Amino acid sequence: MQNTTAKTTTIYNDTPVKWMLYPSLIFLVLGMFLGVFMAFNTFLYPDYFSGEYIHFGKVRPIHVGSVTLLWLLSADIALFYYFVPRLCGVPLWSPRMAYVSVALWWSSLIIGVWSYPWGTNFGWEYAELPTWVSFLPIKTITMVAWVLIAINLFATIATRKYIKMYVSLWYVMGTLIWTTFTYITGSYGINLVPEGISRVNVSFFYVHNLVGLIFTPMGLATAYYFLPKLANTPIYSHRLSMVGFWAIAFVYAWIGAHHIMHGPMSQWLQTTAVVFSIWLFIPVWTVVTNLFATLKGHWDAYTQSPAIRFLMMGNIFYLITCIQGPLMALRNINEITSKTDWVIGHSHVSLYATFTFFAFAGIYQALPVITKKPLWSKRLAEWHFNLNLLGSIPFILALWLGGFWQGMMWATWANGTSYAEFHNNLSLLSFLDTIEAMHPFWVMRALGGVIILFANILFIINIFNTVVLKPTHDDSHAEETAKEVA
Amino acid sequence: MSSPQPNKPHNNHQGFIHNLDTSAILTVIGIILLFSGAIIVTLLAPRYVDPTWTSPSSSYQVQMYEISDPNLYISSSTDGNSSLQFIHHLKDKETLLAFHETKTLRIVAPPSLTKFITHNDDPNLKLTSHLMLLRKPQKTKEFDAIAAANELLETAKKEWEKTNSENKESTNKEKKNIRPTFVVLELYEPGTSNVFSVASSEGNVENWVDKNFTIIDDTLQHPYHSELGVIYVNNPVEYRYSSFTFNNTTGWRYDPDGKPIKNIEELKSHALGFRSRAELISLGEHIYAIEGCWYCHTDQTRTLVQDVVLNGSDSYPAPPSSANEYIYQQITFPGTRRIGPDLSRVGIKRPSRDWHKGHFWSPKTASKGSIMPAFRHFFDDDPRGTAKSNVGIPNYKFEAVYQYLMTKGTRITPPTYAWWQGKDPLQTKRIIEGKKEIAP
Repeated sequence: MQNTTAKTTTIYNDTPVKWMLYPSLIFLVLGMFLGVFMAFNTFLYPDYFSGEYIHFGKVRPIHVGSVTLLWLLSADIALFYYFVPRLCGVPLWSPRMAYVSVALWWSSLIIGVWSYPWGTNFGWEYAELPTWVSFLPIKTITMVAWVLIAINLFATIATRKYIKMYVSLWYVMGTLIWTTFTYITGSYGINLVPEGISRVNVSFFYVHNLVGLIFTPMGLATAYYFLPKLANTPIYSHRLSMVGFWAIAFVYAWIGAHHIMHGPMSQWLQTTAVVFSIWLFIPVWTVVTNLFATLKGHWDAYTQSPAIRFLMMGNIFYLITCIQGPLMALRNINEITSKTDWVIGHSHVSLYATFTFFAFAGIYQALPVITKKPLWSKRLAEWHFNLNLLGSIPFILALWLGGFWQGMMWATWANGTSYAEFHNNLSLLSFLDTIEAMHPFWVMRALGGVIILFANILFIINIFNTVVLKPTHDDSHAEETAKEVA
Repeated sequence: MSSPQPNKPHNNHQGFIHNLDTSAILTVIGIILLFSGAIIVTLLAPRYVDPTWTSPSSSYQVQMYEISDPNLYISSSTDGNSSLQFIHHLKDKETLLAFHETKTLRIVAPPSLTKFITHNDDPNLKLTSHLMLLRKPQKTKEFDAIAAANELLETAKKEWEKTNSENKESTNKEKKNIRPTFVVLELYEPGTSNVFSVASSEGNVENWVDKNFTIIDDTLQHPYHSELGVIYVNNPVEYRYSSFTFNNTTGWRYDPDGKPIKNIEELKSHALGFRSRAELISLGEHIYAIEGCWYCHTDQTRTLVQDVVLNGSDSYPAPPSSANEYIYQQITFPGTRRIGPDLSRVGIKRPSRDWHKGHFWSPKTASKGSIMPAFRHFFDDDPRGTAKSNVGIPNYKFEAVYQYLMTKGTRITPPTYAWWQGKDPLQTKRIIEGKKEIAP
């Protein structure tokens, strides 16, 4: 940013990064294993392993909690701990506070998420984390951990050495504030509003903001930091990135009601959500343009680094998911896609193929720095990317095509002009028929899932060997060199 | 506090605020303003703008949740079978009662109580919150009910003979009417303010009257008595039970000549194990949450033709869900995915307890092609389950989930105006057949 004085003057303490990062990798694989387990045990061989603790309704929230909170959110926090000090030119404000927050974070989240089979599910989507597990106030501990993380990072930014703030820091600050309020609203505020649709409204506000105001800015902060680093080129336009940031700040909080289009929610609120959902094109296209323009003229870097490939492929998926997302909010498209696998496809593209890909790229860049060792095997990293892409595409296509088709089948019930006709349509094509028609798509999804799981097992083997084994050749990388980012 | 920082230029912690430049402060303020603006408009405003978010859908809904549910108790006699026992908790000056004669049921009462009896030819149903019960006629100092009953029985028989006199001449045996058995019960005042009565209805629709009724109380005893329609208990008979010992099992069973239940504590005690329907519905909602039913089932009939058809009955479409259906739920599960059918009208589409029992035990058998897991741990005799409860209700968890499901679609309007009878106030059928679109 300013100059390269950091090289000689600042020593960064990367222990908090490691403590957040390494456990999250375990949950990446565990969470995805549960995903694959469900792909078989719920959809291909329904209820083959059956029983109180492992049926779909109990396993699904563990899968979601593991991959969102225990993997992606934790890995992103680790990357924050990594690049926020480096962008500020000062060490983390308080490593001790970071250790405390790490301890609270892992203990509360692991116990919270993995307690669902014993009946602790809070009952609201993405807010399943229990208020209490036995005597442990899980929600509150997680909240405290998050606030400590936020204070620590804010203090680091406040005490920074470089005057000008790079765009990633803006996104970091946004994430920290938004998440705090969103989390409080969805976990505690929800019980303060009247029963019924008021709570549903708060819930969907929370659901969308969790994705839109936590994972999106986190992922973008990461992408904006690591792409210039990896490609060794400045960001294309700082101003464009700021437009994107403020567009996100303006738009996201309004669109929660698009989860309940055509539902028992006031029509004006649904319309508001539609309008703001369409405006989401603005932040998305600024990001996509900016990242592509940054790599313009440096496309050789794409061929050389799996990390850059993850970033750019994530960027493409980001474009896809964010064209899909706002369109799904339109009433006529929602009529077909809503409540089908299409929605599941959308959440997997955004949280997996986009933000998890961004996080992979960040980890590949950060790991040699924090371990002071080169990556154990670049070839394995390349296979990690190739297999991820190979698995993601059938996985996502299966959900989208299957979901769309199922939506079209449901729509055929409305063919005709009289209730007798409608009812006859339903008796010709029952609800269960439309479920059975999904079988080939579910096979495809399961195959994609298996490939992705295998790719990520390669990934953690690679990371494990990098961390544990001695480097095969001496290449100290001199990664402490703070390359100019902007 | 932190790692060694040689030559640190100017980031002492004293300068914390000083080092925050204007743009950072503006960012924080800007974010908070934008965010709180959105919260005010999308989260706080709607329930003041749209009254359906907080107001009930009908007086029937209010009375079902607030009057009927907390006072209907369910358990089972522990005689080895799983037949359910239903009990109304009757409260003096609150529960509305009707003493309604039928063709075969006649009621005798001391002169002071005869005004409470609704005779067959009475134009209005007489309701009262004055606590009274029916029993087999007994002879007391004040009133010889047995004599009165015999007299009434004779009159009833004579009346019947008179109206069916032509039958006497008929030689065709099949055409000949057989005189029914008349039952005569005595109306009496139990003298307490709380009584437990046998509940005849075990379904999810209560006795409801909204025209041709009068409440013959001197003053208004409870706010709900002034509603246009009311839930009432018809012909209450006290619930009595007797304990038994058979070999080495002890238990209790319903016994009209047994001893009465003294109080609510005894009703809910370990021995009898009754729970109110309100408690069961609440538990059912909790089970629905922790079992993750809501990951596969939605609970909303959307304003789409496909949805009102999917949830409709054979002849009538289901009305789309409206906000006020949900106001009595701690957690509402509108859902985002339908791998199983929508449940918002399941109380009408699948009212059978036996069907649900079979379906929860083995969904793949009950509905072919289903991918729903089996929920055998809802039942007492699942070898792997943890459902063993010390509550008297057989299949306690199942009963809770069942009662919760039965609230769905059944309580929007009173049964007399119900959509499944074609009396949908939204006129859903007319709308979908005319415009093919349901108005918001």
